This record gives sequence, structure tokens and C-alpha cells, in this order.
Amino acid sequence: MEPFVFFGGKGGVGKTTVSCAYALRCARDGQRTLVVSTDPAHSVTDVFDQPFDDSPQSVEGIDGLDAMEIDPEDEVTRHLDEIRQDLSEQVSASMVNEINRQLEMAHGTPGAYESALFDRFVDVMRNAAEYDRVVFDTSPTGSTLRLLGLPDLLEGWIDRLMHKRRTSIDLFEKAAVGSNEPRRVMEGDPVLARLQDRKEFFDFAGSALQDDAAFFLVLNPDELSLNETERAIANLQEKDLTVRGLVANKLTPSPDPDENGRGGRYLRERVETEAERLETVRSEFEPPLVAEIGWRSSEVKGDLLSDVAAELDIETAAEPPTHVS
Amino acid sequence: MDLADRIEAFRETLDEWLRGLYHGMITHPSYEKIEKEAEDAEDAFILACFPDAFGIPSPVSYYTAELLPYLEDEFESWERRLWDRSTYLERKGQQYHF
Repeated sequence: MEPFVFFGGKGGVGKTTVSCAYALRCARDGQRTLVVSTDPAHSVTDVFDQPFDDSPQSVEGIDGLDAMEIDPEDEVTRHLDEIRQDLSEQVSASMVNEINRQLEMAHGTPGAYESALFDRFVDVMRNAAEYDRVVFDTSPTGSTLRLLGLPDLLEGWIDRLMHKRRTSIDLFEKAAVGSNEPRRVMEGDPVLARLQDRKEFFDFAGSALQDDAAFFLVLNPDELSLNETERAIANLQEKDLTVRGLVANKLTPSPDPDENGRGGRYLRERVETEAERLETVRSEFEPPLVAEIGWRSSEVKGDLLSDVAAELDIETAAEPPTHVS
Repeated sequence: MDLADRIEAFRETLDEWLRGLYHGMITHPSYEKIEKEAEDAEDAFILACFPDAFGIPSPVSYYTAELLPYLEDEFESWERRLWDRSTYLERKGQQYHF
């Protein structure tokens, strides 16, 4: 199967648990595995009882498993600092203030978090040579879907920008009289070079998501979650990314047959409605249901995680990525 | 300085004058036009990069912000041109020397 695996779904359905369990399974099967979380709530930390930051660290007690957590806020700040650094090298002191204002505005736009996350995602995919498998525990559905739709959109945009820039430079070159130096020259234009870099970056992102990534959606057996999953499947399909499978999480355990108290009856009823919903999922949703994971009475970590991992019917053998050079 | 040199010097001055005259009367206005056009194209480029300067949020400004360090001159003259330009008609009109 593809080397990059994404788990998505509505908030609170247990994406982190499922991603960690799957990562654990991959690691146990001898794949060098990295699990990447983009949840600022730091839930991977809770699952493995160990703090992580934005560089891969090995998970204690599990061979071949690394984990990292990406904080979008940190990424935006880092990006801002990088540009500021460039700015102080390139730009005269009098202009720095002027441009700084523009810069801060750009980083306050609604898309900044997503762009920062996207950058980091792609960066991880690009530099994943030492891992056989990278598992992404994504943020809730909406923003993730937008994230995955970015490369196409951005590539087109960058193309248009480059075209505009070329036109203007071309005109400037033509406007230079005789042996006068034109105000801008095409050769070695840093702006065009930057845009070209970006274009290649998006290009890589697009093809890596297309060819080297598998998507799984985690859902709970309730109406809202089912609806959202249906939308997510359609959305991903629109972007030509197919969902490989669905994971049903937090299923109610059925009571023993001799239990007839209130609790027993309640559980039996719930199990029934949930079974109906799962049937709907099986018959109406295109991607196959690859796992049915029951509720655990305590937080899923340690041994419980191994139990969950055992319930996942997802292939672990990883093919090498095709687009990483 | 003998005659030949003096004629040579005279011809050179004349040549320069004629070229200047030709450039000023005929070619310069068109070069100017091209340059204005180039500036317009550049303005469009910068506007496309930073529409949020006008309150239009753009999904790419996060990325185009990376260009800012290299757009110092452009950015400055862009802002100046935006202040200067009262109407589009006026800007186009500047190209004609009546």
C-alpha cells in the first residue's frame, strides 16, 4: 500500500487513537514508521504518555516508531521569522517598516494556518526517506479537505503570477532605450525564481497526494458522523483522491444475554441502532468498512492500543514512494 | 586640430543632436508608453500578490509574502503610483504630449 496514510474525520471520533494504533501495527510489522499529528491539542502526547515536538522522536518502548506533533501557530511564526530574516538582509532600513506591515497582514489572513500546515505536511512527505510509512493524524474534516485541495488551486495561481511577472519584465526590457540598463531583467530575477520553487513544491505535493497517499476516514455510529463522512468522501472524490476505507470507532459493547436491567436494555437498544447504521455504511458507502472498534471504558493507551491495533484490517506493507527524489 | 578632425567632431555632435531629436520627438513617447505599460503590468502583479492590502483576503498571500524581500523597489513604487494615480484616464492621458 501507499507509504503515506492519512486518517481524517469529524472532530472527536478518535482519529488520533486510530492513527496511533495503525502506526503501532506498522511498526510491529517491521516498518520504520512515523506518526505525524497536526492537532494542537497534543493528543499523540496523551496516547503514548510522552511529550513530542515538531521534530520526530522515537516512542519509548516501541521499536521503529517515531512521532511528531505540528503546531500550526509555531509554523506560521517560523515562516514569518524566516521572511523577516531575508528582509533584513535585502531591504533598506527605511523600507523594512513599510513591508513589515504588509507581511504581518499576510500572516493574519484566514488561510495562513492551513498554508503553514500544508507546507509542513509536504515537507515531511518530502523528507521521509528514512521511513517506510508515514501516518498523518489530520485535523477535523473541513480544514483537512481544504488542505488537500490546495496544490491544484495554488499551482494555477502561481502560474498566473509568473505570467504577469514575465509580461512586466518583458515590457521593461523593451522600454530600455539603447544601451540603457532595463529596470528589471528576466535573467536571474529572484521573484521568478522564488515562484518557480513554489510551483515545484506544489507540483510535488499534488502528485504525492495523488499517487503515494491513502486516505481513511474515521467515523462514529451516529447520524452526524455518517453525514459528515458521506460529504467527506464526495469532497475527496472531487479532488480525485479516493478514500480507501472507513473505520468505525466507539461502537457500543453488547451486554451479556442474562443482563436485563436498565443498563442492559439500554445497551441492547444502542447496539441495535448502531448495527443498522453500520449496515447503511456497508451498503451505501463506497469505501469498505475496514475496522469496527468498540468503546473502551478507559483512555486508549498502552495495552489497549495494541488491542485496537489488532482490530484494524488495514494492510501494513508499504511501497516506496514514487515521487521523492 | 586639422580640418578632417574638426569635420569629424562636428559630425559627431550633429549625429548626437539628430539622434536626440529623433528620440525625443518620435521614439521616446513610445518607449514611455511601453514603460508605463510595464508599470501597469507590475502593478497588476503586485496587486495579485497582495490583495489583502485592500482588505481582500487571499489564500496565497502567505506564500507571496516570501517575495516581499525581493520586491523592495517594486513595492515602493507601487505604493507611490497608487497614491499618484487619481484616475485611470489621467494615467493613460499622461502618455500623450499635447
